Amino acid sequence: MLVPLVALASYFLMAVLPLAADDDAKRQVSPELAASYRRDLGLGERWGFLRPWQKLARGERLGTSAQGVTGEELLRKLAGSLAVGGLSLALALTWAGLYALALARRSGRRLASLGALVPALAFGTPVFIPALLLAPLVVERGHFLPELAAAFVMSLWPGVFLGGILAEALELERARDYVRTARGKGAGPARVLGLHVLPNVLPSLLDALAPVATALLAGSFVAERVFGLPYFGQLYVLAVVHKQIAVVAVATTLFAAVLVSVTSVVELARVAAGAAR
Amino acid sequence: MSRSASAGGGLLAGLALVSFVVSRLSPEVVAAACPLGQDLLRPERSVCALALGGLWVSLAIGVCAGALATVAGLGVAACARLLGGAPEALLMRGVEAVFSLPDVLMVMVLQLAAEAFAEAHPRWGVGGFSRMVLSLALVTWAGPARMFRDRLETLGRQEFVSAARALGGSSVHVMRLHLWPGLRGFVLAVFLSRLPAAVLAESTVSFLGVASMEPMSLGRYLGTSYSALIYEGGSRIVLPAWGLLVLLVLGASLAARPASVRTR
Repeated sequence: MLVPLVALASYFLMAVLPLAADDDAKRQVSPELAASYRRDLGLGERWGFLRPWQKLARGERLGTSAQGVTGEELLRKLAGSLAVGGLSLALALTWAGLYALALARRSGRRLASLGALVPALAFGTPVFIPALLLAPLVVERGHFLPELAAAFVMSLWPGVFLGGILAEALELERARDYVRTARGKGAGPARVLGLHVLPNVLPSLLDALAPVATALLAGSFVAERVFGLPYFGQLYVLAVVHKQIAVVAVATTLFAAVLVSVTSVVELARVAAGAAR
Repeated sequence: MSRSASAGGGLLAGLALVSFVVSRLSPEVVAAACPLGQDLLRPERSVCALALGGLWVSLAIGVCAGALATVAGLGVAACARLLGGAPEALLMRGVEAVFSLPDVLMVMVLQLAAEAFAEAHPRWGVGGFSRMVLSLALVTWAGPARMFRDRLETLGRQEFVSAARALGGSSVHVMRLHLWPGLRGFVLAVFLSRLPAAVLAESTVSFLGVASMEPMSLGRYLGTSYSALIYEGGSRIVLPAWGLLVLLVLGASLAARPASVRTR
């Protein structure tokens, strides 16, 4: 339900507001640009809200001048962003495992101080901060691939967030009777962790993946801008800055569709994990 | 008040006081004493004055947007509980739909729409600061609404509430006299959790150059200089801003912790 809702809301929001003034003098856009808005958005036409999609399906360019985009380019850019997001998710899961392991090895007092400081440090670090700190190495010296650097800076907060959840769930599960029973029957720590504890921890981790996916996609806007990656996030930001409203309406809907797809996949994985237990 | 709450509150108050004094009362003194030197793109301004001035604007936006979102969420949750039954379920489905929207993206869309509206109707348009506060509040009220609704439901199951209802107390009476006292600490905790979230969302949107605000917030300050910051020497400007953001989040989370624990 979310995708058509976002599609219609963003279309009407974008379509009505910039053209709301009665005359061209009051409107802050040139008559040519206003005409292009009308053409792209199909204003005043029956089923006009489908016009941007129709143009994309025909292979026509949406938007004006250099900031415009065709359907093929849009999909290519989206694929680029998703690849960086996927790499970032893999890194985040790695950091989460390492962080949970570090928390599990700390004593109670140290754990309490880590519990307040590390999440505050991670949450108080918006993606643009590590991106700007890493940028000289990538942009000026060319030490790292921009895609890898973008995935790295996007994975920091999700890694700590998932790590905190993983550590809490691990602590809870390891105190349960079935773990003591398995150890009592002679199973080694690695076997207990892999065969008994991890399958029970998986649902908590999967529950946290949907907000992480949102954070990764939002983080891609910033990381792609700083590292100059020509993907979906960069396209979206430039479309907003240059008021390419048809592109914004279409890209917002695509973004919502991606989020809904990710959430659905996570839900399916959650059901599968529940069935396997 | 616990030590953690005192430390968090003190940290937030200290940040607000220092940023206000530096940005409003004595920018010249700070410019002369700033160990970080002058800004790369604005040589007439010191890094300290720009960072602390930016923090003051970010903090003001965070407080206003966080308070608005908290009040709106509380209003929606109270309405939902008062309505009850199918209307409550329907209302909360709508709240969940808004909650699932990515906040940075929606704030960007609302900023674009509000700017376009302000250009088309200068008389009706609002300034950059108010636009940002309203956009953030419009996007982030759903989280507090869900939390307040759950809290009200839990409180509503208590025996003294059932007794009040059995004695003929109306829903509004029960809400005002019996539920509200148990909710106050939680409202503060929710507001304190919204404060850093609003500051960080604003910083990200402003960094991307979508919001046009004067004076500049922390995100806009870094965003307007980012073409210079991606080369050597940028860390001198980025690190103080980072430190201030981390201190803000740490202060809010420390201050919120006892309030959220107490209301469990």
